Amino acid sequence: MQQAGSSGSEAEVTWEDQQNINKFGRLNNRLHELDDEIKMAKEKNESLEDASNELILTDEEVVRFQIGEVFAHVPKEEVESRIEEMKEVTSKNVEKLEEEKELILAQMAELKKILYGKFKDSINLEED
Amino acid sequence: MSTSASATERRGIPAAAFVEDVQTYLSQLNLDANSALAFLQERLQQYRVVEMKLLAQQRDVQAKIPDIEKCLDVVATLQAQKGTGEAVVADFEVSEGIYARARVEEAESVCLWLGANVMLEYSCEEATVLLQKNLENAKASLEVLIADLQFLRDQVTITQVTIARVYNWDVHQRRLRQTAASTSES
Repeated sequence: MQQAGSSGSEAEVTWEDQQNINKFGRLNNRLHELDDEIKMAKEKNESLEDASNELILTDEEVVRFQIGEVFAHVPKEEVESRIEEMKEVTSKNVEKLEEEKELILAQMAELKKILYGKFKDSINLEED
Repeated sequence: MSTSASATERRGIPAAAFVEDVQTYLSQLNLDANSALAFLQERLQQYRVVEMKLLAQQRDVQAKIPDIEKCLDVVATLQAQKGTGEAVVADFEVSEGIYARARVEEAESVCLWLGANVMLEYSCEEATVLLQKNLENAKASLEVLIADLQFLRDQVTITQVTIARVYNWDVHQRRLRQTAASTSES
């Protein structure tokens, strides 16, 4: 996010304006963090998908399932249900993160309206 | 909005003063525009340095949390197997690319690495309690760090806006002086 003052006399910056600008900055930071988190969560989901597909194909009875740093020998059915559980958790997480992202985008749009309304060309709220 | 309006500093980080009016600000500081800009730029640099430090701390804590969760997982698995009478068989890494099989019967206790070359033996329940506490502490530290970073970023934003306003005010003043000079000549 950038702020650029332009030449020419512009409206004075009040404390409320400053707080709006600060809030916009915070939301923008959180937006970037969210994008990263969403990407990681989606990748994790994909890995779990791949894992459960491999499970279906394998004919071994005991699967080495990673717990912590070691690979424990776990019966196939238990691995299947564990992976299903993990997929559920990750999907819910992705949903929650995307919802938060929607909220933040809406708030940022509101703030843009307010700040552009007051400062017009004197402020730049776009991504560099 | 948070209480950032009233906080004059936070954990040693000075808050950036909000400037109501540039003219008043400059006369209060008894500085001309250029010196004020230099001062503000320096403040900005200092803020950036602290930001780097906090970001590094945040990354460390964020890396610790999944590690603790993995440990909790392992202890929980060992505890679960205790009742069944079956041994836990696991493949673990002896060295890079080399794995060995381990057979853990009736895990009565686990050893936890406490750092500084110290490892202590705990019962499974005690280990879970300790790991849980460490996890909670790590999460609490993370929250404090995130709040600190937010405060810091706000101060950076305020300083950036102040720099822009002082600069614009200076440009405006120069224009006024130029117009005044050319009018008196004509």
